[in-house]
Amino acid sequence: MKATPAAAPRPSRARARTTSIAAFVVLAALVPTTATASGTQEVEAELPYVCTLPSGQLPATVRVSADFPERAGAGEAFTPSDVTTTVELPAEAVADLTARDAAEVRAATRLTVGVAQNSATATATWRGESEPVALPGSGPLTLVARGEVPSVAGRSDGDLTFSAGALAIDLALGAAGPATTDPGSLTVDCALAEDAPGQGLLATVPVGTDEQAPSGSPSSPGPAESSGAPEGDGAPDAPGDRRPERQSERSPKVLENTPGAAADRDDVPPCRYDEQHPPTDVSLNAYITGYANVKKMKGAAYLPPSCVLIEQGLPVPGPPDPEYLIFDTVSYANFHYRERKQTPPFEATFLSFDFAPVKATMVLEQTGPMRIDSRMKIRLSDFTTITDTYVRAPLVLHVLDLEVNGTPLDVGSGCRTETSLTSADPDPANFPGDHLVLYGRGEQIVGLPATGYLLLSGGALSGEVTIPAFTGCGSDGEDLDRLLTASVSGPGNYIKQVQGQTCAIAAPVFPSPENEGQCTEDLQPYEIPVAER
Amino acid sequence: MKKSIRRSALVVCAAASALGLAAVPSSAVPSTVWTVSPSPAAFKAVNVGNIVLTATIPMTCTTSTAAGTMASTTGNPGDVADITTMNFGASGSPCTSVLGNVTTTSITPWDVIAVDYTASTGVTKGYVGNVKANVTAGACKFTVTGQASGTYTNSTGILAINSTAGELTVTNPVNCGAVVTTATKPTFKGNYAVTVASTGAIPTIVGSNP
Repeated sequence: MKATPAAAPRPSRARARTTSIAAFVVLAALVPTTATASGTQEVEAELPYVCTLPSGQLPATVRVSADFPERAGAGEAFTPSDVTTTVELPAEAVADLTARDAAEVRAATRLTVGVAQNSATATATWRGESEPVALPGSGPLTLVARGEVPSVAGRSDGDLTFSAGALAIDLALGAAGPATTDPGSLTVDCALAEDAPGQGLLATVPVGTDEQAPSGSPSSPGPAESSGAPEGDGAPDAPGDRRPERQSERSPKVLENTPGAAADRDDVPPCRYDEQHPPTDVSLNAYITGYANVKKMKGAAYLPPSCVLIEQGLPVPGPPDPEYLIFDTVSYANFHYRERKQTPPFEATFLSFDFAPVKATMVLEQTGPMRIDSRMKIRLSDFTTITDTYVRAPLVLHVLDLEVNGTPLDVGSGCRTETSLTSADPDPANFPGDHLVLYGRGEQIVGLPATGYLLLSGGALSGEVTIPAFTGCGSDGEDLDRLLTASVSGPGNYIKQVQGQTCAIAAPVFPSPENEGQCTEDLQPYEIPVAER
Repeated sequence: MKKSIRRSALVVCAAASALGLAAVPSSAVPSTVWTVSPSPAAFKAVNVGNIVLTATIPMTCTTSTAAGTMASTTGNPGDVADITTMNFGASGSPCTSVLGNVTTTSITPWDVIAVDYTASTGVTKGYVGNVKANVTAGACKFTVTGQASGTYTNSTGILAINSTAGELTVTNPVNCGAVVTTATKPTFKGNYAVTVASTGAIPTIVGSNP
């Protein structure tokens, strides 16, 4: 049984938009939820997996432990807690890692969890991260990953089951010493072994008992509404405090674009030079993806992998310095999406003013070229080299669609920030005007691999941005500028973007046993980077 | 930790080589008969510690492998081995620099040339000759040619390459700006463990003057 929110019912139009979400399950990302069930069941499942490593397929043992409520009310969201995923990889896998010159490893796990109730199903991704652990000299490697997982609400009565499925393990390899650097990373895909007990069943949570009976419910749900008709984020309230539960049911789906996992090539826009954009002999392309925090919304927008076309500059001698040999390089770049200098559209959902869910579809549009200044400094005493890179991009934020509280609002075609997103420029005299500044540093100690951000090989760029006021938002006399400005615009928004390895069109490096791939056969970037927080 | 140790080893090795140059033991003599055991035989070599290539900026390869054939020979200098495969970096472990990842494509064969032999230590001094490799980092491309000095130690099977500035030269630099020009003097330093491909045993080189 469910309670209907006291707020006005959402229009059917809004409801229809949510059908892509599973019928009865809400996977909530950001808003904490509380389980009202009295008891807790502690679950620990040990499951056999088969993992694909560079040396081949190897058996692995995966233990998943979590606390679930003993039971939950229909429509009551709860979050499995104390979730720990422990992966034990055999010694052969350790050899694969030490062969890559790794001395320690940090793991990020992505466990696909099937959630089912009656005939309805949904999928959640349970993410975890481990502390760095030293690779053992002998024997198996045990990785213990912990993390928050999405909350779940059973829409109707019946057992809600959680089953472990595919597991992906992102291994960041490194050496144990402080002066050493990251020798790379590796994603290991693992499948549940065919003989896994209970086909990976982790837990069963009975839903719907005598606990429910929300006497305070303002209205009784009609049979049609509670029959399991698709209504993704419209899960019902739990009994009790109505308002916070209403927040959770319409929880933001900010993180639903599966960040943390490299996107499939089919899921990213093409990134190649064409007749309108013929390459030169210094042309590069790369994908970039990441997060942009919106401070006022207390949330983050995920920017999906976006194509950037780059003209690599030629290094010139920098200013004389008694301690360093310096080279400066200026490169230029443009976003490239359907022949436009912009990102693909991306969606973000936030809780505006802490209670109204706002879902926006946006693009970042360039108003001028992106400029990339790299300064390489070689310290003459020990040949330690450092490259500092500043990316300056005039970008306006263009809002394409907006939904507030589930109701679509017509923002019109010209809804955007008044000016570019702006950052404090470290060199304002030479770089006036409004633009975003992202910074990255690459470093190399002689004899060790280079680390950090480098234009050619990519890495993480970060910056802080002020979002200007919005203009041109609304139609039919409805002015949405102030709503957006009040809820989004402001300073102190942190941005972190991860650029992938570039593909040099005139000197392409294709994947082979000898070479790390840089280009696909049709000269697109081989690497699709993974967003980082 | 492991890496720090390796790095120290590399430095120590370089220092030892420098010492060797400064004071060549009197027993190191040019030889005319070079006895390779086994001969002829296929060999392979894997880096021990990181390989450092320098072309103004240093580049680090954490993986490097070589393979070829070796055979006894006569004459001085003596060509005791041909390197037919020479890889720098591998899938998953590219060579890196602050410019970005560096891709090196070796044009083989390269030669292992023996010059002097010290009977008391079992160390052969010589060089890797006929070096030619195309190097790319993004749009920057250039070719390195020349030779690289080194030693081979029978007791350890370590081929230690420690080229000196001027042995290798840059030709045809394209889109590298001021970082790599024809005036650049590349270097190639690093250790390789050599084994007989069929047995895994350490091969030996002995020089003599009958």
